[in-house]
Amino acid sequence: MSQSKIILIIDDDPDFVDGLKSILKKANYTVDAAYNPKDGFQALQSKRYDLLLLDIMMGRGAEGIMLARKLNKDPKLREIPVLIITGIREQMAFLFPGQAVHPHLLPVDELVEKPVEPKLLLEKVSTLLKTAETRKAQTKK
Amino acid sequence: MENKDKILIIDDEEVVLESCTEILATSNYQLATAMNGDKGLKLMKDFQPDLIFLDLKMPGISGFEVLEQICAYDPTLVTVVITGYATIHSAVEAMKKGAYDFLPKPFTPEELRLITRRGLEKRRLVLDTIALKKEKEMLREHFATIVSHELKAPLNAVQQNLFALSAELSDKLTDDQNQLMNRMKIRIDDLLKLIHTWLRVFTVDIEKIKENFTKISLKDIITKAIESVQPHATRKDISILTSGKEVQSYIHGDEVTLVEALVNILNNAIKFSRLQSKILVSTETKDDEILISINDSGVGISKEDLPFIFGYYYIGRSSQTSERGSGIGLAITKRIIEAHDGSISVDSELGKGSIFTILLPIVKSKSHNQSTKKSEVYSNSQKGVAK
Repeated sequence: MSQSKIILIIDDDPDFVDGLKSILKKANYTVDAAYNPKDGFQALQSKRYDLLLLDIMMGRGAEGIMLARKLNKDPKLREIPVLIITGIREQMAFLFPGQAVHPHLLPVDELVEKPVEPKLLLEKVSTLLKTAETRKAQTKK
Repeated sequence: MENKDKILIIDDEEVVLESCTEILATSNYQLATAMNGDKGLKLMKDFQPDLIFLDLKMPGISGFEVLEQICAYDPTLVTVVITGYATIHSAVEAMKKGAYDFLPKPFTPEELRLITRRGLEKRRLVLDTIALKKEKEMLREHFATIVSHELKAPLNAVQQNLFALSAELSDKLTDDQNQLMNRMKIRIDDLLKLIHTWLRVFTVDIEKIKENFTKISLKDIITKAIESVQPHATRKDISILTSGKEVQSYIHGDEVTLVEALVNILNNAIKFSRLQSKILVSTETKDDEILISINDSGVGISKEDLPFIFGYYYIGRSSQTSERGSGIGLAITKRIIEAHDGSISVDSELGKGSIFTILLPIVKSKSHNQSTKKSEVYSNSQKGVAK
């Protein structure tokens, strides 16, 4: 009876988004998409999402990171689990020199590289959803 | 409006200030004058001159001190010192401390104009050089973003959709069709990796790794490198053996890039080795250096190819195998090793195999702390012998 989870993808490449969408839909997720950080932020404010898939390199640079930082400041939105999608590992190293590859921008986040194999994508998504639920249950206590 | 060149003259003699002003007034300069060092330095910050004339002999803070502060404030500022007693000694001293030239008193108007023109020319060159360097740096850094977006993004999209399609269709397609799908995925993956490698060559300044050098264990980097290529070796049923088990030496370097350097050589060794052959990684210490050799019994490198293999984009012509590289791996490897003050060489014979030898300096306890005892870690010399 469990209702289908709702996922938002924010990525500026519609073709890439379609590839992800198709994999997620087949696994019974409901998927919305926004193609820039601004629309994405609006969508997050207007609807409740169970998970966010966020592209890090959008527009002129790391606009995805800026959005993630913005979300982290919002007491409600920061609770959404986020799967960060990045073009290349090297880029992360440029942005955060000397740090671990995974920057941890939000309480519950994970990192995958583009392109992502269906199996890995679905694994990460379900792990993140579980982690977020556990976290929610703990904070309620 | 064009920007006028700005000249600041610091001299305690009013006569000098006036005559200089008068001489230079005929040209299109913006001038400012100061009677002593303190005022001069203050004016330098407000007026932002391109060229400064500075008297070395002044009451108050000395000309040398002023010069030092000018250089500290902006090393691109061009300073010409005016030497009252025309002593070569103080002029030379000033130039050692950063002055561009000197003007001995008394000087003729023509001498002043000439040195002014030359000083301003120098300033322009300095600024141009800085601007060009910045531009080069920016281009290099932007290249990463541009290439990743313009080249990688479409490929990522294609690959992602292929993933989706093949997952959806896997049970509807015949084996042959599924194989075609897989081959498409593999080829796109190769292309993405190739772009990734090129991106690295263009954007990463290998010299910069020196800033993060730490003391690292040789054993760690060898282990990590072998782990990383193990799947590739397993696929060809090649075993990688190590000898010289007492690799407890430490080197001063960057672990990530050193592992990458070894991985490049190991991958080549695997690529050009026959199925079920062996690759031997051995280490030994020689005086202050550690020697790592990677020995394969693969196809080898011809004499004609040998001198060029560490160059960029060189792909050996004699290689008969279907394996091809990007022609970058060994060039990067060489740069990494050299950034660690080491060296790399190769010995090879066609049909018999190759030996790559890396020499790296062993970490010296002295370099960190003079007072630490010399008898540290590496003192008990190690002799790893390849069997």
